[in-house]
Amino acid sequence: VLVLVRSPLPRLRALLQRCWGRLDRGLWPGVFGGQSPPWGPAVAVQGPALVPRGWSDAEAPSPLESVLWMAAPKQRRTIEVNRCRRRNPNKLIEIKRNIDVCPECGNLKQKHVLCGYCYAKVKEETRLIRMEIYKKEGGPFNTPTVETVVLYEGEKPTEKDEGKRIIERARKRPSWFVQN
Amino acid sequence: MRLSVVAAISHGRVYRRFGLSPRSRLDLLRNLVTALVRHERIETPWARADEMRGYAERLIDYAKRGDKDERAMRMADFWLTEKDLVHKLFKVLAPRFQPHPGSYTRLLQIPNRDGLDRAKMAVIELKGNPLPPLVRPRRDSDKTLLNQLLKGYRQDAQRAAAA
Repeated sequence: VLVLVRSPLPRLRALLQRCWGRLDRGLWPGVFGGQSPPWGPAVAVQGPALVPRGWSDAEAPSPLESVLWMAAPKQRRTIEVNRCRRRNPNKLIEIKRNIDVCPECGNLKQKHVLCGYCYAKVKEETRLIRMEIYKKEGGPFNTPTVETVVLYEGEKPTEKDEGKRIIERARKRPSWFVQN
Repeated sequence: MRLSVVAAISHGRVYRRFGLSPRSRLDLLRNLVTALVRHERIETPWARADEMRGYAERLIDYAKRGDKDERAMRMADFWLTEKDLVHKLFKVLAPRFQPHPGSYTRLLQIPNRDGLDRAKMAVIELKGNPLPPLVRPRRDSDKTLLNQLLKGYRQDAQRAAAA
């Protein structure tokens, strides 16, 4: 089906001109029923005088204009939608796969971190050795200018320990502290 | 040639920011270096230990030059706040690390701090210290399944080669 679109402007203009002509000559009785037409010469006035009366009387702005409009949710989020958002994998805590068993003590440890139990053991022994060192040095700022070696009960200094300061610990040598 | 310093972008900056100011950062690291030279093993937050490691190793490199060297002595004088440690540095640590070309420290991570901040902690120690070892070198055991299979394969190969 071919649809022809004709330009409405020349036809419309011709029609409007015919209608106005008939109204002016009074040949269109259906409009006002024979009375005088309401359109006579009118005063052309500027824009602001034609403003409707109601607006110039209002001094205080209505509350609808002075309040600050903010975004608010329109509908309640259903529990299904909430569950989808809360349980999305990017919101869950990611599982660690780098946990192993320490071969020495059997506690759990992370692969790149020292075992907490074994480190606590070593830390305690180091603290006791340092207490012996402080007792030997006597006061602050007395660091000797020679190396140090730690000997346990019943151990004698070897020829490698010549000239070193000896720190005695009053206990049996622990199995994990191998004497060099 | 750098004509301007863009303060907001930090591409390529290697030094971390510590303390209240750059001077405070150096004082903090200096305290840590002094503590390391005194105690030979310290436990601190990982970032501070990592930052301090470079300074400590460079200080030992300076000490290896000998205490007659003017620059080495000025460096040791600045970096060690307790002056009896200057003697220890030149007379104990420099001979200890003379045969080694570098990497005089060992940095190991330990479980996070117990306090509220759960900070990532590390223990940094000088190699060759007299204290008990932190990590025992594990020799591969012969009794694991893989090693038994490899041993069997080696024996089969030898028998096939002999026959």
